[in-house]
Amino acid sequence: MENVIECRNLTHYYGQRLIYKDLNFNVPKGRILGLLGKNGTGKTTTINILSGFLQPRSGECRILGEKIGEMNPETRRRIGLLIEGHVQYQFMTIEQIERFYSAFYPGWKREAYYELMSRLKVAPRQRINRMSCGQRSQVALGLILAQDPEVLVLDDFSLGLDPGYRRLFVDYLREYAKAENKTVFLTSHIIQDMERLVDDCIIMDYGRILVQMPVDELLGNIRRYTATAENGYTPTQAEGLYNPSMIRNMLEVFSMRPESEVIEMLKAEGLKDVKAEKIGLEDAFIGLTGKY
Amino acid sequence: MIRAIFYKEWIKIGWYWLLALIASTGFAGFAMLRLGRACSLKGAAHIWQVMIERDAIFIDLLQYVPLIIGLGLAIVQFVPELQRKSFKLTLHLPIRATTAVGTMLLFGATMLIVSFIPAIVIMYCYLQSFLAPELWQHVLFTSAPWYAAGLAAYFLTAWIALEPTWARRVINGVIALLIIKVYFQQAKPEAYNGFMPLLSIVTLLLSMLSMISLTRFRDGRQD
Repeated sequence: MENVIECRNLTHYYGQRLIYKDLNFNVPKGRILGLLGKNGTGKTTTINILSGFLQPRSGECRILGEKIGEMNPETRRRIGLLIEGHVQYQFMTIEQIERFYSAFYPGWKREAYYELMSRLKVAPRQRINRMSCGQRSQVALGLILAQDPEVLVLDDFSLGLDPGYRRLFVDYLREYAKAENKTVFLTSHIIQDMERLVDDCIIMDYGRILVQMPVDELLGNIRRYTATAENGYTPTQAEGLYNPSMIRNMLEVFSMRPESEVIEMLKAEGLKDVKAEKIGLEDAFIGLTGKY
Repeated sequence: MIRAIFYKEWIKIGWYWLLALIASTGFAGFAMLRLGRACSLKGAAHIWQVMIERDAIFIDLLQYVPLIIGLGLAIVQFVPELQRKSFKLTLHLPIRATTAVGTMLLFGATMLIVSFIPAIVIMYCYLQSFLAPELWQHVLFTSAPWYAAGLAAYFLTAWIALEPTWARRVINGVIALLIIKVYFQQAKPEAYNGFMPLLSIVTLLLSMLSMISLTRFRDGRQD
């Protein structure tokens, strides 16, 4: 499958602090890929590198086959960018901003923008800085839909949105991306939104990628195991078992290894009442990265 | 696309520019009214005599007006771009980043010069009515570095505003103050006459400083 975004051996530091080393990932055409990670694992760093606002210490990223640092303006026209917090020109009204952007994009879809704007209860001459965060998110999304880019890079799209606006954003975006075969790379703090939206996910831990796979495959394989332990039991760190933890005498551990294999392994350690359960993306994320 | 950038810049500076135009023209008009009043009370001959013997130019009031207007224009134009880093939006537009920033500077500098023109025309027309050519040229040449300082303040403030780190902004601010001082080093009328061509070139070259801030912004420099 053709890769629209390719990052090779990305390494970045802030001062002496390593963010990640030799990070590699691809986003195939037509897929929606979500980047998940705790604070400080490098999500925004990755978005900044992808949008050309940060030079990595080493390695390179290409979007639509072009190196980001040397990207032709014509290629940039095919990329839609949503900045964290739905930042748009605060000093413009919804009419002014549409008029401004339309001059840069020959295939500008004015109707797509105004269709979304018609849902907002804002006066045509109301400036963006006087809108709520939810309304601003719709303006930003409307502008991206009107631009009609091939690739969308969205940084923390759910930041500051109430559940209604988040749902509106997610549903609109997914329907648009699937209908038009768009490639999307995004981050969000709200993992339930990601579960509704993304096809593939990358889960990052400090300095590395823990998992990169389709969400269906991840959720099909990962299980949460609980078991009762004797007093004084200390969980062992076995390969393929993630973040074992004890609450009173109850063990909780996560794994993507075959269910029967893990149950056997836990029973062999003398644990009782071993149970396996399927989990959602948020629990999978916590299971792989830990609670703290 | 260039017109669209002009449109965006106009949305930001429109009201400020009108105020700047009124202030610049108003101060020049006021200075001329004051001079006209002195002329009608004491006679043109007395004004000539004071100008020649005491090196008076009667427009000292205007000295820092272009500087303040230039500084304010850059703040009004560039600070909204830096709020919540919306400058990233400008850099993501499908034009070269240097073209985008160059167009913003061109628009701002042009509007600044246009806001100065009525003041200069008022002084030129009014002073000609009762002063000898040597005397009205003396007044206008003396004010030339003040207007150049207005343009320099605009370019230097843009350079500071676009800089992504506070530490470097402070350094740039100190450098900017030292550069601006050059425009007000000599209080003597027409002291800058021989130096004006070079000072004009230097003033225009100050516009290039913003490209350093642009490069640093794109490299992702942080405090």
